[in-house]
Amino acid sequence: MSLLRNMAGGLRSLFRKERVRRELDEELNGFLEMAAEEKMKEGMNRKDALRAVRLERGSLEVTKEVVRSAGWETFVETCWQDLRFALRMLRKSPGFTAVAVLTLALGIGANTAIFSLVNGVLLRPLPYRDPNRLTMVWEKSRDGSRENVGYATYLDWKSQNKSFEEIAIYSSWQPVLQVGEPEQLNGLRVTSNYFRTLGIRPEIGRDFLPEEDAPTGNKVVMLSHSLWQRKFNSDSNIVGKPINMNATQYIVAGVLPARYQSLMNQDPRGGVVEIWRVLGYDVSQPWACRTCHHLVAIGRLRDGVAITQANAEMDTISAALSKAYPKEYDDIGVILTPIREQLLGPASTPLYVLLGAVSFVLLVACANLANLLLSRATDREREVAVRTVLGATRGRIIRQLLAENCVLGLLGAAAGLIPAYWTPKVLASMGAGDLPRLDQVHLDWRVLLFTVGVALLTGIAAGLAPGYRLSKNNMHDSLKEGLRGSGSVASRRLRGLLIVSEVALSLTLLIGAGLLLRSLSRLLVVSPGFDPTNVLSMQTSALGQRFNDNAVVRQYFADAIERLRALPGVQSAAAASQIPLAGNMDKYGFHVEGKIHANPEEDPSAERYCITPGFLETMRIPLLRGRDISRADTATAPQVLLIGETTARRMWPGEDPIGKRVKLGGVDQPWWTVVGVTGDVHHAGLEADPDMQMYIPHQQWPFPDGLMVFVIRAASSPAAISSAAQQAIHSIDATQPISRIMPLETYVGLSVQSRKFALILIGAFATTALTLSLVGIYGVTAYSVAQRTREIGIRIALGAQRGELLRLLLRQGMLLVACGVIAGVIASLALTRFLASMLFDVQPTDLLTFGSVVLLLVAVSLAACFLPARRAMRVDPIVALRYE
Amino acid sequence: MADKPSDLVQGTLDMLILKTLALEPMHGYGIAVRLEQMSKGVFRLNAGSLFVAFQRLQRDGLIRSEWKATENSRRAKYYALTDQGRKRLNSETREWGRQVAAIARILETS
Repeated sequence: MSLLRNMAGGLRSLFRKERVRRELDEELNGFLEMAAEEKMKEGMNRKDALRAVRLERGSLEVTKEVVRSAGWETFVETCWQDLRFALRMLRKSPGFTAVAVLTLALGIGANTAIFSLVNGVLLRPLPYRDPNRLTMVWEKSRDGSRENVGYATYLDWKSQNKSFEEIAIYSSWQPVLQVGEPEQLNGLRVTSNYFRTLGIRPEIGRDFLPEEDAPTGNKVVMLSHSLWQRKFNSDSNIVGKPINMNATQYIVAGVLPARYQSLMNQDPRGGVVEIWRVLGYDVSQPWACRTCHHLVAIGRLRDGVAITQANAEMDTISAALSKAYPKEYDDIGVILTPIREQLLGPASTPLYVLLGAVSFVLLVACANLANLLLSRATDREREVAVRTVLGATRGRIIRQLLAENCVLGLLGAAAGLIPAYWTPKVLASMGAGDLPRLDQVHLDWRVLLFTVGVALLTGIAAGLAPGYRLSKNNMHDSLKEGLRGSGSVASRRLRGLLIVSEVALSLTLLIGAGLLLRSLSRLLVVSPGFDPTNVLSMQTSALGQRFNDNAVVRQYFADAIERLRALPGVQSAAAASQIPLAGNMDKYGFHVEGKIHANPEEDPSAERYCITPGFLETMRIPLLRGRDISRADTATAPQVLLIGETTARRMWPGEDPIGKRVKLGGVDQPWWTVVGVTGDVHHAGLEADPDMQMYIPHQQWPFPDGLMVFVIRAASSPAAISSAAQQAIHSIDATQPISRIMPLETYVGLSVQSRKFALILIGAFATTALTLSLVGIYGVTAYSVAQRTREIGIRIALGAQRGELLRLLLRQGMLLVACGVIAGVIASLALTRFLASMLFDVQPTDLLTFGSVVLLLVAVSLAACFLPARRAMRVDPIVALRYE
Repeated sequence: MADKPSDLVQGTLDMLILKTLALEPMHGYGIAVRLEQMSKGVFRLNAGSLFVAFQRLQRDGLIRSEWKATENSRRAKYYALTDQGRKRLNSETREWGRQVAAIARILETS
């Protein structure tokens, strides 16, 4: 209340300045008059009385000043004055202002851009109610890694635990929506309590009902807002309507709000989840078993239950289950992962590394600006001296200088915001890779607040040292013309320190960029195990009533491949249930004859490729031993398969695997005979060691995959055959969707994209920092050359050797660079370990990188010193001596 | 020391102004004279500190002001106590009494 009144009083003084001043004048005048009258009554004359009053009570003018400056509004007013003065000063030296604003814009712009990324991806709240209570619930496998859960296990967890309000599970689902052009969607099958667990309510329609979550009544779906708009024209009567997917009718239960964008299933190649269907399992189903680890569990903790508490309870439950079903668990407990860590954890290290790197750029920009201000301070010593003589206090002068710098900072921020506005789009087009929520990155109040804060801090930090130096100046020296650069020793030391830190920061960034570059170049020479050049891939499925017959499915794909092969420009074509580096994850457990474990959970698993003949040839995967599969391996022929090199080495070390037999899936399955060994391919990524692989003939697989990826090797660019290939497939069945039409090289590129992204950004930061530092080094050398023109002239006149002089001038600059390099190497040794997770096959302290970056930096610094020094060599001694 | 006007104890000026206004509304000079009279000339106030105090008290809502004619038909700003000001005066007087008594006790015992 009183604060409000205080504000009101202050504001009144600010905005009705004249009136308030008049009132105070009148009141004070009256006061002094009355006091004088009193004196006159005692017999003084008016003049003496007024004088006496002034002596006793203080003069009118001083009193007015005292009263006026007592309120806070005076502070505001002088600040305003400082600000206007600052703008005038900056306008008077446009060159300086332009360079300073540009330097700051670089630093602040880059920081705003990266911060908006960090803000959008990491800091913005997750789109769930109370996300801190949500955790993923995993089974812990023998090696301590997280494992999905089987349905029966989930039911036990759900009924026995007391820590969770709800536990839901989901698995991925890719239906084909037959509305308009058939389209394959990304979806999830979820338990009916899934949305309740996350805390999301449909915008229109209703949530799933528990009774729908059964094999008999599970034909309802939930649509995302975007899907509803895109495919159903935002039809407000959509609820209850049937839609066709995979030749089955589903009823729309509801539409989710627009602000909810699913973050589950973050596969950059897959796209966001847009449709949800009730899971509809039943324990009696064979895929609901305890060892059927294909479901992901997510739980909402009860209020007041800590995650460690919940974990302890779940461990107990899991131990009891292991005891009751020893053959079905090899788990040693349960792992709870907070949802934030699950969804954003992988992205946070690279982002924070980027934020750290970009803050280095800002520091360099800041040091550069400080340097610029220092040289300007020398020119302004006289101005400051005059103002000091006229009665300005040191605090007031510092404030004035800081105001100038804050204005500079804000101008820089304004200029820096322009690129920051476009950043998200640019970064998205650069393919920021696996960053979640990238589409939701934009400038918001948090980013603006950050930018303004950074700008003011930068301005103040850069201006503090020069400001302090200026205000401490001895005004007598400064007022005397001709004595230039008083106190230049301290000033030079300060500039030296700034250069050293700039060099150190740039070196650290350069080393970081160098390490990433070496990682990427190492990674790019890793052979994926196949030849992606000129191979086009496209995904299609066989959906509908007529494909319920396995023979029809097999025939369909065989026909499609025949038509593709017949196309002009096509060298070979084949299909597989999954292809390497495409983000597919299909692993299958198997049992080696003679080595079957008592607990099937302990048996190995391999990446399973269900292929048509010609796959190895099209992909150019080498066949190391035995034979390839052929058309002779039909459904009725003996069951055969190919294995990868790693499979052979791990399963039959020192033995010939040809002719060995394995069982796929359960132990009650028939035997398959190994007929060939292929080279390994990198399935998950180039950086990971290849895992075990198996190739099974599509003709022989008992449940032929309905979703297959075609690979087509063209004679030239794969783009040329793209439309012909699609037509060829549609000429057999036009109702089947074709998706992910991409050259294999794109998949290879995608697998290194996030590294490229980090490299490009950190490389750009390092270049910017280096450029700024070079400008700084150049400036310092040029300044000292200018200051020593006379000395140089004398030395030349006295017959100094030019080479000797050059060394003299270079020594100062290079000494600073050397100090900077030492500091930078120390800083890098301490900091590069944060990069470790982003490196491949390169140590964070890689000697070669450190060495070559130091060499590079020293070389360019030498050049930056040499340019002004060489100018000094050309000094005419006569001119130099006449200089002052 | 008694012949020279002494400085006020820090922070007591506000309380004294409130006390002076407790009787009736007054203008600035009147308050100064009254304070000097009541203190028997111990306190002599300069205009600066007095008017800063008026501004502060007014902004805190403890006094309000109004332009009125004086007995000598001069225009002057009269200050008057608000309800809040009266409450503050009471509490501060009590507090002051407690403190003075405490200080006196300390000075006597030592």
